[in-house]
Amino acid sequence: MTDHSDEGTLFRSRKFTDWPTVKEALIAEEIGGVFILAPMAMQLVADGIPIKVVYLGHRDGTAIIVGKDSGINEFTQLAGKTVAIPSRYANQNILMHKSMREHGMPFDSIELRELPPPEHPTALQAGTIDGYIVGEPFAAKAEVDGFGKVLYHTKDIWPDFISCVLVVREDLIAERRELIQELVDGIAKSGKWLDEDMEHRMDAAEVSAKHYYFQDPELLKYVLSKPADRVKYTNLAPLKPDFDEIMELAAEIGVLSRRVEFEEYADPSFVPDLDQIDWNMDRLPEEGSKP
Amino acid sequence: MKRKVLIGALAWAILLTLAHIQLNIGWSQLKDNADVIMGKKRRELTVGFLPVT
Repeated sequence: MTDHSDEGTLFRSRKFTDWPTVKEALIAEEIGGVFILAPMAMQLVADGIPIKVVYLGHRDGTAIIVGKDSGINEFTQLAGKTVAIPSRYANQNILMHKSMREHGMPFDSIELRELPPPEHPTALQAGTIDGYIVGEPFAAKAEVDGFGKVLYHTKDIWPDFISCVLVVREDLIAERRELIQELVDGIAKSGKWLDEDMEHRMDAAEVSAKHYYFQDPELLKYVLSKPADRVKYTNLAPLKPDFDEIMELAAEIGVLSRRVEFEEYADPSFVPDLDQIDWNMDRLPEEGSKP
Repeated sequence: MKRKVLIGALAWAILLTLAHIQLNIGWSQLKDNADVIMGKKRRELTVGFLPVT
């Protein structure tokens, strides 16, 4: 494992716990970019923060979870129940509203409660909520621990679901374009590598559990393999029709303070051709090597 | 006369370059870029993440 690209650029990661701090860090130019929720990126642009969505973090990788013995087997049975969402600015919130509309249910028929994702499984187990919708690995946690079951994977109700997107500062796009390209290429290469072989996914689970997620590697292995298309790391171009659908719904339910056009908040020009990129293992620097 | 024009043009070019660095690039950015080119340090980019999904 190395912390820099094969071009030698050092990419650092920084964990945030709340939205205002992300906003401040972007304004203060402490970070070049950030992985955030898609509707959140739109709202930041609506607030005048000069950023652009340049790539996606993944596709799918979210599930609606209910109690194993709850007797809930279809979406309409959630009427009158309390379901946790990660944030009002999460696409998971948009999906719940989209599903309610598709099933002819009023938007207030399910009580949606904002909860930090790590608290979703414990709240379900404690009985303070009836279900939750969240990204992995917190969806799988209840399943693996034996008290929850998947009601729906997003891949089955909103195929190619978008959750996290990569946004970068517009000044970097203008002045250090090659750096952003290098970052996007690296993410695209990693995604391609992950999706081409299950063994790669298992290796990635070990590394990310230890160094980034601080989770049980077995949980991450489960997420990346049960089923194999539970979360996908290819097809990560930000596409206008996908984002328009999210934006329209988000504006309609009042998540966005105003409508924002795709061109205002997205720049798909960095999306690489996956056939043209690959890791050149011979060129990867050794861990701890000098520039 | 020719020499004076040459020196004047050179001084003007230097002045414009310095003004460009001051106004558009920034001296610390220039130093960082120079260090990267000289191999003294790596280019860096910090990317944040918000684990809410």
